[in-house]
Amino acid sequence: MNRDSSPLRYLPYQARDVAAGPLALFVAITIGLTLVLWRFFADSTTISDNPALFLTGTLSVYQTIAILFATGGVAGVDIQRGFYRAWFSKPIAPWLFYLQRWLLGGIAVLLIPVMLGSGLSLLYGNGTGITWALIGSLALAYLLVGGLVLLCSNFMERDWLVVFLITFLQARLHQMLGLFEQLGQEIAPLLVLTDRLLPPFHLVAPSAGLPSGSELLHVLGYGGGVLAVALLLFRHRPLGSGGRA
Amino acid sequence: MIQFSGVGKEYVSPLRRRRVEALADFDLTMERGEVIGIAGPNGAGKSTLISLLMGFLAPSAGRVTIDGASPRGYIERQGVGYLTELVNLPPRWRVVPALHRLASYAGVPRAEIPGRVAAMVDRLGLDEHAGKQVRQLSKGNLQRLGLAQALLGEFDLVVLDEPTHGLDPLWTQRFRDVVAELRRPERIIVIASHNLDELELLADRVAILDHGRLQRVVRHSTEASANAVAWRVIFEGTPDVATALAGAVPVAGRDGTWRVLATRSDLSRGLAVLLSAGAVLVECVPEQSQLESAFREAVRQ
Repeated sequence: MNRDSSPLRYLPYQARDVAAGPLALFVAITIGLTLVLWRFFADSTTISDNPALFLTGTLSVYQTIAILFATGGVAGVDIQRGFYRAWFSKPIAPWLFYLQRWLLGGIAVLLIPVMLGSGLSLLYGNGTGITWALIGSLALAYLLVGGLVLLCSNFMERDWLVVFLITFLQARLHQMLGLFEQLGQEIAPLLVLTDRLLPPFHLVAPSAGLPSGSELLHVLGYGGGVLAVALLLFRHRPLGSGGRA
Repeated sequence: MIQFSGVGKEYVSPLRRRRVEALADFDLTMERGEVIGIAGPNGAGKSTLISLLMGFLAPSAGRVTIDGASPRGYIERQGVGYLTELVNLPPRWRVVPALHRLASYAGVPRAEIPGRVAAMVDRLGLDEHAGKQVRQLSKGNLQRLGLAQALLGEFDLVVLDEPTHGLDPLWTQRFRDVVAELRRPERIIVIASHNLDELELLADRVAILDHGRLQRVVRHSTEASANAVAWRVIFEGTPDVATALAGAVPVAGRDGTWRVLATRSDLSRGLAVLLSAGAVLVECVPEQSQLESAFREAVRQ
């Protein structure tokens, strides 16, 4: 039999999943937000004069949740519920399958500022507020948060919940260390070590701007590292945990 | 060719406090053109063996190869027609779109997908369920959907784990026809089943597993005449069966019904004597199939 072995053959199905799932939600939220702005803040000069500031502020609130929604359970559900047996008896490499789906999730997340910026432009006619720094920061956040979700997806269905707890823990710890530093208090080495080992989520906050230099390397290294480990696990770790599971 | 060489699989609890040996020292070679049965009681290691063959589990000892490659290496290049024991697909998927998607996953060229899916839906009698969601299907229909997705890719290796689980007698028979049609010189078909009659009808060889160990491999055609098995023989009237068939015992309360322990050739000779003397045979069936006898012997029940 003639066989199509290109991984792009299942791209339309994955794209449809993303469009019907996270992207549909992002579109609905964007439309909802734009309608709220149109109804209640149409004359707001604060927003119309600073669309970029509004966009950054909005993303600061929703960025992590959006990424968790775009990546959560992507592989974990297949593995834990046993769907993988039907998928990966076919000529498909799991690592490529999930990488492709992960990248599509990334595109959906990157469309958020594009859609929201377009809404702002339509409402106020003062530009979209989209900057390369904002898009770059969002892409880095996706690499870091989304990469970590994909790594956790190897082991559990509720990968997003674990990553959410890690982001929460890291934010609180980082805040606390910053406060200690301001107060000139001595910080326990274990806390410093923990802070260094945890993902540097604070460096990809939209309000912090695009990181550069060592901070950029830190984010790229950490995010790229977890993504690479996730893919290596999909490549080499057997997906089953028992005869039937 | 599939080769299991000294394969073992041990499940270890997360804290390493409990170890369960699911499979040990398993050696078996499966050749192209063969239909291989895997039989064994519950917990014998059949599902573990299939998972090792699919590369969903890694062996704790030994090696599994398919055409010289690791199972995953082979499957990621060639694919396998695989029917799982418990068919598991997203519950909201609808039958025909699910088959389209799975045909694409199987590498069926885009232009051929509609025709291939339509033919499979027709072949497995899924027409009236085409628009249903997976969760709305009965166990038997779900099993047929599982079989349909396994056969879409026309792979050289077909692995069927408890394939008639949940099928009614009509579809069990139809399934046997489907498997017979699947036979090709270049194809290996592996069937794991509790149903010994099914394996006896379909498989060229049956590997009998018990307690994770290969007890014996029964080659149906050669072993059939070698062993004496129990037969139930029914005649019209009351011919003198005991003199023609040594070891024949009348079944109490059933006129003309005898139980005979004999090989096929001894039974045939005895029946020839009786029939030539004018006896009228109503029925002659084995009380246990050849495979069932071998199975009972292998698992010591």
